[in-house]
Parts: sequence; structure tokens; C-alpha cells
Amino acid sequence: MVLKTEKVTKTFGDLLALDEVDVSLERGDILGMIGPNGSGKTTLFNVVSGVYRPVAGDIFFQEKPITGRTPHYICRKGIARTFQIAQPFSQMTLLENVLIGAMWGNGKSLSKGRDAAEEVLDLVGLGEKAHLVPDEVTTEDRRRLELARALATKPEILLLDEMMAGLTPTEVEEVLVLLRQIHASGVTIFMVEHIMQAVMSVCNRIIVLNYGKVIAEGTPEDVVKDEEVIRAYLGDRYV
Amino acid sequence: MNRKSGIVVSWWALALFLVIVALLAPVFMSGYALRFCTFVLMWIGLAGSLNLLTGYTGYLDFGHVAFFGTGSYVTGVLMLKVGLPFFPAMFTGAVVAALIAYLVGIPTMRLKGAYFAIAMLAFAEAMKHVVLELDGITGGGNGLSLPIYTNYTFFYYTMLAAVAFTIAITYWFGRSKFGYALKAIREDELAADVSGVNTFSCKLIAFAISAFVAGMIGGIYAYWMTFLTPDDSFNVLLTVRMIIMAFLGGAGTVLGPIIGATFLASIEEILWASFAYTYLIIVGIIVVIVVLYIPRGIVGLISEKLIKRYGKGRKSA
Repeated sequence: MVLKTEKVTKTFGDLLALDEVDVSLERGDILGMIGPNGSGKTTLFNVVSGVYRPVAGDIFFQEKPITGRTPHYICRKGIARTFQIAQPFSQMTLLENVLIGAMWGNGKSLSKGRDAAEEVLDLVGLGEKAHLVPDEVTTEDRRRLELARALATKPEILLLDEMMAGLTPTEVEEVLVLLRQIHASGVTIFMVEHIMQAVMSVCNRIIVLNYGKVIAEGTPEDVVKDEEVIRAYLGDRYV
Repeated sequence: MNRKSGIVVSWWALALFLVIVALLAPVFMSGYALRFCTFVLMWIGLAGSLNLLTGYTGYLDFGHVAFFGTGSYVTGVLMLKVGLPFFPAMFTGAVVAALIAYLVGIPTMRLKGAYFAIAMLAFAEAMKHVVLELDGITGGGNGLSLPIYTNYTFFYYTMLAAVAFTIAITYWFGRSKFGYALKAIREDELAADVSGVNTFSCKLIAFAISAFVAGMIGGIYAYWMTFLTPDDSFNVLLTVRMIIMAFLGGAGTVLGPIIGATFLASIEEILWASFAYTYLIIVGIIVVIVVLYIPRGIVGLISEKLIKRYGKGRKSA
């Protein structure tokens, strides 16, 4: 078990955003997380990556508790994440963006970090654009940049928050190829994704969140047949 | 040699020329001119000190004068009451300023944007009153008279050394692992944190370094002026000038504070000579024009022009 959450609960005022969520990832998983808007998917990522502190429950990474630790601590331990809306360092070149992850997330020196950053940029297909700033590249490239910055920290687990939202079907295919490649290099992936085509084709397991609760879990084929999932997405009439 | 490296060479030649001029200046100057140049150096140092924090981390410090004042008073008190020589006293003043920044930073560095600025503004005022209240040591509102030393060449060179130190640190910020962390914090603090940057301690260290420089310059100022009052040493207008100079020149660059401070101090001096009563109005208008039309400062404007002319000369990392 590389990652395990136990009864993780998070509230915002009166709103129960996460309600005793239990999730576990085995090494080598590509776990997909789906659920209607506002069901708590991004909140779960924020809690796991240390951006929010859960009000109750525990999170274990490689059997050791990481509950309530800071984001940089969790990143250095081996959990990297991307943001739903890309958050690049806008006045730095793509190379410098990735360099931050290599130096601070993976403890490299400036010169070693630069080599590592170049390698990662090549891997995600941004090698040619290393000297550009984020404003000069496309949305898809900015997503790849998020991925590159996260990868440069040498993670065990990659949390991907809607990597493919807003991309064209061709771009989605390209990103999927990339994800499989990253997975093959030994990274465990936990991804939030709305595009079912992507989730179904790449994930080996799926969990479904609704109103902060895990309502279903299983293989992609089982999950899409689950009555509660259909009810959450489409309403009672369709069950 | 292509055009790009030609520019680099001529930049270095220009820098070398300026260094030689700065080193030889006291040979040709005396009295008023030397005093003015020492003032310009002081402002380059102070704007540079603010730039280390604000230009790199993005935290706008509206109470930066607190560290200048702390440096000046610690230096003054140590020389006067303890009998310490100038340099150890100044160094201690700078260290005390850095320590205070570190401690104040622990609560205030958790604040964002305007809240940090306001908290620091209040902190600087509070420091002024601490100095006023400790009148047994600081002389309170009556001021503090230091041993008089009138070797103005000495002050020029000491200030020059302080400025060189500041520039060296800024240069290091611009091309080190630590400096990259600060820039990442400025661009997006959360993204920096999840990429492994220990944002809180990086900010605290930058704050302490920046305060060390301000305290050091405060110490030189104290010995130079020989008379300190809380109103002068903790004057909020000093902070405002540091901010204007840093942004006028270009925050987050090595040259920005140098150009901004030299430009503003010179303009003020020239205008003051001919329009004694209205020069501040003119200065105000100039500042407004700069903020409106060249928000990235003079350095930003020049580098944009250079990029346009010679293509993207942006060195990768």
C-alpha cells in the first residue's frame, strides 16, 4: 500500500466536503476518481498533498502517517500533484519552472537540476520550448508543464487533477500515451478526470465520490454499471 | 563574436567603467558632491535591501525602515554606551535587525499581500515608540549624539562597500537555488510549496538577509550623521522612497535599485535646486508617469527594447 486514507474528513464551515473517505493505492495502480462537480475530488487531493489539514482521519504514505504535514514535506516524500487550472510560475521559462521541482522537490543542485529538468521536458514533449515562458505556449502545453514540474520532483505517486479537461480528442490521446509511458516507468497514478473515454481506457480501478462520500469502487466496467453511480450522475429515473 | 555576446561584453565594460569611477570619485570630489554621492549610495543600498525581499518574494514591506532604524540605534547605543568601535557596532546592529526581522516574520510572513504591508507599517511605528520609550538608553525624543567623525571619504567608501555587498547578494539571488525558490514564491506560492519549496523558511531567510542589509546601512548612516532621532530613523517616508526607487528602476533585478535610486535622488537634487518649493510636486508627477507607462521599471523597459531589437536573447535558466 503506497497511499492510504482512513476516514479522512474535511469541512468548510457547515459544509461537509469529505465524509470519512477511505482510499487506498497499491504500487502500480492507475486509480481514477470521478464524481459530480463539488463532490470533493479536488478537496481530497488538497488534503493528501497537505494544502488542507483534515479535521479528522489519517493519511499514510508507505505505511507512515503524513496527516497535516506541509505540502513541501509531502512533495519531498514522494507525492507530487498538478492543479486543475495550471499554475505555472509565469515569469520563468518552462525550463526554470521544471527546475524548481527538480531542485526543491528532488534535492538536486542548480546544474544537476537543469539536466534533470531538460530530461523531463523532453519526456513530456516540451524540449523544444524550454526557453519560452508559459504565456507563449498552448493550454495543452501548460498542462504538460504542470506534469513536468510534478515529475521533476521524482514522485512515487502522481496526483493529476483534470489533466485533460478542455483538450481536443487528439490532445487527450497524446496525453494518455504520455501517462502510460510515465506509469510504465514505475509511477503510481491517482487521477481525477471527467473525460470517461480517458478514465475507462487508462485506469485499472475507479472510485466514485458524491457529496464527499465514496459511493462506489471497482474496475471501470463495474463502476459504470453501479446503480448508485448512475443515480448520482443522471438521477433516479435512469436507474 | 555575434551581436548578443557583443552586448554582454559592452555591458561588462560599462560596469567596469562605473566601478572605477565609483572608486576614484573621492579623489575628484569633496564637500557637497561627495556628500551627495554618499547619499545616492545609501539609497542604492536601501532600495537594494527592499528589493531583496519585495523584488524577489513579492512581499511588499511597508515597514522596512524599522530595520534601518534598528541598525542605526543599535550602532549608536553600542558606540556611545558600550564604547564599541564603529565596525563591530555596525555589524551587531545589522545582526540585531536580521534577528528582529526573523522573529517578526514568523507571524507576519503568514499574511498575504496588503495585510503583510499593513502589519509591517504598524510594526515600524511600534519600533519607533519602543525607541522613544527606552529613553534611558536611546535618549528618547531628545535624540542620540554619536562620537563625531568627519572623514567623509571614509563614509563614502564604507557606503560603497555596503552597496557592493548588497549587489553581490542580489546577484546571488538571481542565479542560485535559493533565489529560484524566492522567485517561485513570488509567482505562485502554493505551486512552489507543492513543488517542494519550503516557502515559509525561505521567506524568513530572505526577510532576515534583507533586514541585515538595511540595518548595516542604518549603522553607517548613524555614524555619518552623528545625531539620531526616532522620527528621522523610523520615518515612514524612508520606506516609501525605498519602494518607489526599487519599482522605478525595476524590482527583482540587480540593476533596478541602482538605476531607480540614482535616477530619483538625482532628479530630486536637480529639481530641488531650481524649484525649492514645488519640486516634490514634479517628482510626484514623474513617479505617476513611470508607474502608468513603465510598470516594470526602467530596467524592464530597456530589456524589452533589447529583446525587440535583437530577438529573444533570453538565456535558458
